[in-house]
Amino acid sequence: MIRLSPQLRAAIQRTTLPLLILASAAIVLVGKADRMLFDSLRTATTDSIAPALETVSGPVAAAGNLVDRVRGFIDTYEQNQRLVQENERLLKWQQTALDLASDNKKLRGLVRAVPENAISYVTARVIGSSGGAYVRTVMINAGSDEHVARGQAAITGEGLVGRLTEVGSRAARVLLITDLNSRIPVVIESSHTNAVLAGDNSERPHLIYLSARNAVKVGDRVVTSGEGGVFPPGLPVGVVSAIDASGPRVEPFVDLSQLGYVMIVDYGLSESLPQAIPVAAHNGRRGKPGAGDEAAVH
Amino acid sequence: MALKVFSIPALPRVNSGAARLLPVSTTLLAALVSILPLRIPGYAALTPAFTLMAAYHWTIYRPDLLPPLSLFAIGLVEDLAVGAPVGVSALLLLLAYTAVLGYRRHFVDRTFPFVWAGFTLLAVTAMLGLWALHCLLDATLLDLRTTLFRIVLTIAIFPLASFLLGRAQRALIGSGS
Repeated sequence: MIRLSPQLRAAIQRTTLPLLILASAAIVLVGKADRMLFDSLRTATTDSIAPALETVSGPVAAAGNLVDRVRGFIDTYEQNQRLVQENERLLKWQQTALDLASDNKKLRGLVRAVPENAISYVTARVIGSSGGAYVRTVMINAGSDEHVARGQAAITGEGLVGRLTEVGSRAARVLLITDLNSRIPVVIESSHTNAVLAGDNSERPHLIYLSARNAVKVGDRVVTSGEGGVFPPGLPVGVVSAIDASGPRVEPFVDLSQLGYVMIVDYGLSESLPQAIPVAAHNGRRGKPGAGDEAAVH
Repeated sequence: MALKVFSIPALPRVNSGAARLLPVSTTLLAALVSILPLRIPGYAALTPAFTLMAAYHWTIYRPDLLPPLSLFAIGLVEDLAVGAPVGVSALLLLLAYTAVLGYRRHFVDRTFPFVWAGFTLLAVTAMLGLWALHCLLDATLLDLRTTLFRIVLTIAIFPLASFLLGRAQRALIGSGS
């Protein structure tokens, strides 16, 4: 190590702190002006801490599972009763679904419908979440090595979780539908009204850009519209739970604080995405509906 | 004035490498802990500011072993890993460091409630400042309630963090003051 004179050392020590404070402030401003700037650095960080997080989050998840199991033992009887009833009900639904599927197939043949893209899934474990009040994201242990790509939808059995915003080689980040920057094109199932589901960091995102404002009522199901072609249409998102000053609020089907595993949907269309998606003009630029719209609304 | 505030006091020399790294490594660990996905409803939004606790503790007891450059680096890594605007945590940690270092001599060798009160003051100021900064960056008025709950949780968890950090400090470094 180089020997410095005590005066010089003291001078360096005195100036480091103010300089670093200025540097951080400058980084905040630069990052605000150009959101893409730190993307590759983010991806690299995510990738490099993924193995550590994977190791640590395993036992944490195991401890959570243990609690669930103990709880499961305690109410086995009630749960069993409930499941028997549910099973009966679901068997009826299964019959209905099979009937409808065969009907659907016949009718599609009759009208010569264009076949939908095949969907494939990659299942990944949630290894990190965003600590803090200002971001809603989770980190998953799948990346481009598993053919996961930016812009794809993350779902669970219950419904939509979010959209992939950064993809490294072995880890990726999912922007949850509740994040301030999340914008998802959706449709109200009962009235076929188009809208955009906008997160605001609260647990229940709201609907904006409703094409017909009074066409929404509490209890309506909200699903993805597939507009823009990135998400498959019809992914369940949530139900309208209240209508307040900022518009209708949607209660997501998925409990986003209890995510263990998510499935990444490959709809075979992610190539149609422009390479750089602005992570969000949060006040939502309104674009023409069409292929380029996805970039504008997200 | 500036000289007094930014000067780092001479503390008993620590020779063991592991002991010298303790402040930086525990602060980094705190950053890692804050992104662990605990499956507790609402936890992600209310995650206590663990790095702030570690930074406060070490600024009081061993500021010589917590160079500002390490706080800068840890803050950047935390922001990159969490997905937050880059630089915000670094700025917060460095400002907290500056503030605490200035008043450090009032806290060393004091009883725990006094140290806790100091942290309360720091946590409230820092996290309200953070809220204001995020409001500015996002150009919206963000819900203050989440931040308030987070402050309360951070202050409530501090004794535990302080106990653990103090234990590690006594085991590896010896009581420093």
